[in-house]
Amino acid sequence: MAATMKRILSVLFIYTSTTLNLNIYAEVVDDFKEELFIKPLPSGHVYFHFQFTTTWEADFENPKSFEHYRLFPKSLGHVLTTYKVQELHLSQTQGLWRHDKWGYPVSSAPPGAELWVWFQPSIKSLDDTWSELVNAVSGHFCTSLNFLDSKSTAAPRWSFRPHGVASDGYSSFSKFVRYGALPREIVCTENLTPWKKLLPCNTKVGFGTLFKAIKLYDANYHSLGLDVRPVCRDSDCKRTSIELSQSLSVVFDPSVKNNEHQDWSLKKILGDVLSSRCPLASSSKIFVDTTSNIPKSIFTLSPDPDSVETITRGGEKRQYAVYDVGLQTAGGRVLNLGAKYDNPVQHNDIIPPPIYAQRYITGYGLEQGGVTCLIYNNLDTNLTVIYMETLPWFTRFYFKSLTIVNQNKQIHPYKVHYIPGKDRSRSYHLELVFRLRANSVTKISYKFERAFLKWTEYPPDANHGFYINSAVISTVLPTASNYTSTPQSSSSIETSFQDKSENFFLRIHTETLLVSLPTPDFSMPYNVICLACTVVAIAFGSIHNLTTRRFVKLDPSKKRGLLAKIKAMFIKQKNTKSDETSEKETDKEDEKEKDE
Amino acid sequence: MAITVGLLFVVGVVVRLILLQTDLPQWVANKNEVITPLTAWERVQEGLALKKNMISPYDGDIFHETPILLKIMEVVNNFPNGSKYFFVILDVWMGLLLLSITNKFAGYKLTQQAEGVKKYSVDVEKIILRSKDLKHLGSYVIAVHFLNPYTISTCLARSTASVSNLAIIYLFYYMLHNKLILCTFFIAVATYQSFYPFILCAPVALYFYSHQTSSKSDRSYNSSKAIFSYTRTCLLSIGWLMALLGLSCVMEGSWSFLYSTYGFILTVPDLSPNVGVFWYFFTEMFEHFRVFFICVFQINAVVYTVPLAVKLRKNPVFFLYMLIFLTSIFKSYPSYSDVGLCLTLLPLWKHTFSYMRNSFVVACMYICCTVFAPVLWHLWIYAGSANANFYFAITLVFSTAQIFLVTDLLFAFLRREYDLYNGTTHKLENGETTQIILE
Repeated sequence: MAATMKRILSVLFIYTSTTLNLNIYAEVVDDFKEELFIKPLPSGHVYFHFQFTTTWEADFENPKSFEHYRLFPKSLGHVLTTYKVQELHLSQTQGLWRHDKWGYPVSSAPPGAELWVWFQPSIKSLDDTWSELVNAVSGHFCTSLNFLDSKSTAAPRWSFRPHGVASDGYSSFSKFVRYGALPREIVCTENLTPWKKLLPCNTKVGFGTLFKAIKLYDANYHSLGLDVRPVCRDSDCKRTSIELSQSLSVVFDPSVKNNEHQDWSLKKILGDVLSSRCPLASSSKIFVDTTSNIPKSIFTLSPDPDSVETITRGGEKRQYAVYDVGLQTAGGRVLNLGAKYDNPVQHNDIIPPPIYAQRYITGYGLEQGGVTCLIYNNLDTNLTVIYMETLPWFTRFYFKSLTIVNQNKQIHPYKVHYIPGKDRSRSYHLELVFRLRANSVTKISYKFERAFLKWTEYPPDANHGFYINSAVISTVLPTASNYTSTPQSSSSIETSFQDKSENFFLRIHTETLLVSLPTPDFSMPYNVICLACTVVAIAFGSIHNLTTRRFVKLDPSKKRGLLAKIKAMFIKQKNTKSDETSEKETDKEDEKEKDE
Repeated sequence: MAITVGLLFVVGVVVRLILLQTDLPQWVANKNEVITPLTAWERVQEGLALKKNMISPYDGDIFHETPILLKIMEVVNNFPNGSKYFFVILDVWMGLLLLSITNKFAGYKLTQQAEGVKKYSVDVEKIILRSKDLKHLGSYVIAVHFLNPYTISTCLARSTASVSNLAIIYLFYYMLHNKLILCTFFIAVATYQSFYPFILCAPVALYFYSHQTSSKSDRSYNSSKAIFSYTRTCLLSIGWLMALLGLSCVMEGSWSFLYSTYGFILTVPDLSPNVGVFWYFFTEMFEHFRVFFICVFQINAVVYTVPLAVKLRKNPVFFLYMLIFLTSIFKSYPSYSDVGLCLTLLPLWKHTFSYMRNSFVVACMYICCTVFAPVLWHLWIYAGSANANFYFAITLVFSTAQIFLVTDLLFAFLRREYDLYNGTTHKLENGETTQIILE
């Protein structure tokens, strides 16, 4: 009876709401994967990359699909719909990823915080929405992203293309993208807490239980990432899903505490063992890169992996040990994954990755300065790169001084996109497209001039200096040497094993720079105001005097001035008194005369 | 006389050419006292580079020159080493004009004296001007122009302030040659280049009015005839200025250059140190008073026109010089190029020097500041052993020195005028000699 009633109701409903989207009552289809990727690095460090991927069959264009949530965090969903976000990429990083020693990370991030967002084309006023969005995201993740105002925001033309599904017409303009970075931002527990709250299992079960802040922030490198983008729902790519990728990368140096041995284990490094998997996750796996064990085994993993996968990606052979956390922790067992090394770490020359960069400040004094960026290309082929630089307005970038030198020959960029900065309102934004010759070092250098700020514009501890954003280098590699990023189709680590592509998009961030600016004396505004006004008053007073008065001869008998007047008054009084006395005397004399 | 002047020209040019071969130009071109954000050659080059890359130079905040000057510089820059020699040529050009100015000025001074001589006191032979007193004026002016370190450094640094200085010299030149149209044109050019010279309309208007009315007796400065004459001068200047701005707009394709040039001068966003009073004052200013004090300081730069116009209405040339001097002190981005121009024209008033009271002190202040400014700059910016206050102190002293000089000159001028009408010996009715004071 009840079933028939329900059917009738639903039929009625369908009839009455043909215009409404039928997805309302459709089941929420979503999927969550948790993965941990571990890569022992040749320098003795160990790289841990936690990857949480939520795919949700919802449509950005359709606000109705954001009414029912299951695994996708609702708080984030609200932010995305309110500000009409198409793609959002946030990274919060402590420390610098050393490309020359560590190769490439899964997702590159600059020191500090970085946010870049593609907005939906239906958006009305983009700059206002951006400023509202940064405030919302800032509140959400406890970062200072609210400082990303027009002074530190750019609209990159080539460097930050949409990462997810996007139509050609939409992505060919940089109209809808905004990029901002805060190189000074310090990342700590207060950023981790809101980030891990977005995980479906939080920190109760699964990989989340390994997030012990005291260990995570005692690392050489630490990066929290959050990327939202539309991805293809199926191979036809007619419909899109939303993918939320949360990642946490940490690089530890176990040899420091371990007497030169690289031995590591989850317990030792992260402070805990895995005792459960997230029941909401469709897959919960750990991958350990054991490529360095070929041909000669240098470390042994314990416990033994569930399977070992050997894959070839971009012409490079790799081996991964795979652990299924569900299997490993079944029956109340705990997983304390670890590696034992046969020998202490040997600090040999490390083969650097195909392309990496190094950037530094040149010059001395607080007047002018320069920046030099060396880009190393170790490939046997030429490589076209996009170089992006955003400089704050107070380091006035001289476009004429920009030079790109390769093997002592000046090279001209194919394309230049330069937005000059404006004092107190816009940063300098530069994008260059040029070619790196095979096996060469390309040097980009330019000059800047330090501005003098108002005393209120200096931050506390003004002499610490000001940070300059990392430069961003984007390119497409023909080889996957050292490459760990996931392919375009999915953020899940596992999919990278099936990646058959021959081109690999790479983005690397260089060092942030610290520039000190000349400072005024903060302690004496009153003195300065008084002194400067005095000088003006000298001129004003003198000219006022000379133009409003005339020359006269000084008559010493006519004394002027207040004092003279007062004196004159006294003298007058005295005179009148003496007159009176003299009168009296004359009276007396008269009397005398009369008497006589 | 002719030999001396010729020699000075040669020496001036040779000194400049020799110094151009050294490292000095590079050093000078970075000195904040010599260049300002408005006049730096480096910024001109930046503007040219941006223009070459199809980016509007006014889009950013580095370039603040006017569009026409940018065009001229583009032409100059096309010649190899063109810019180097362009500024030397400018200096020679200015020298030639100055020579003509001094000759004309001597004539002007003598006619002015002849007009007023009937009213002069009897015992003024000592201070009255004779043509032989004015004979060497040319060589003095040229000597100062070619050999003072301020003009030399301006030339070496390739400061574009030379162009506005040239406009002001032309203004002087055409004024003394009684050419109203050209004179107002150069007011417009100078205003177009550096904004403040618009106040020079006042002395020029007075000059041309007094020139029209030949007899001194029927000269009234507030008659309708006078007002008509003033209006004509002002309207001509405004007309020329509008033409220049219109031309720039056509060249640039938008009005955006207005904010980058005049907006930059008026709102003082760049607080780089210079020899003026603005930079540190507005660095340390409280935010909510900033607008108020910017207004006060900008008004201060031009307000002296009013009292001086009243007091010096019979001496428009001196009035003109006073205004050039005062704006060079109180403009928002002053530099040594302005000082150079003022000092170059200073010998024109040689006949009043005997009345000056503190020329020794002023000379010492000038020398000390010029020597100490780069030293203290180095200590602050490079060595880190001094702070901003040191450099601020020296710029304050320099401003004070200039103020002392200008007010002293005004005093000397007025005092001499007084003596011309009242005799050089001042006796009271009872026969005692006495002092002269301001009342």
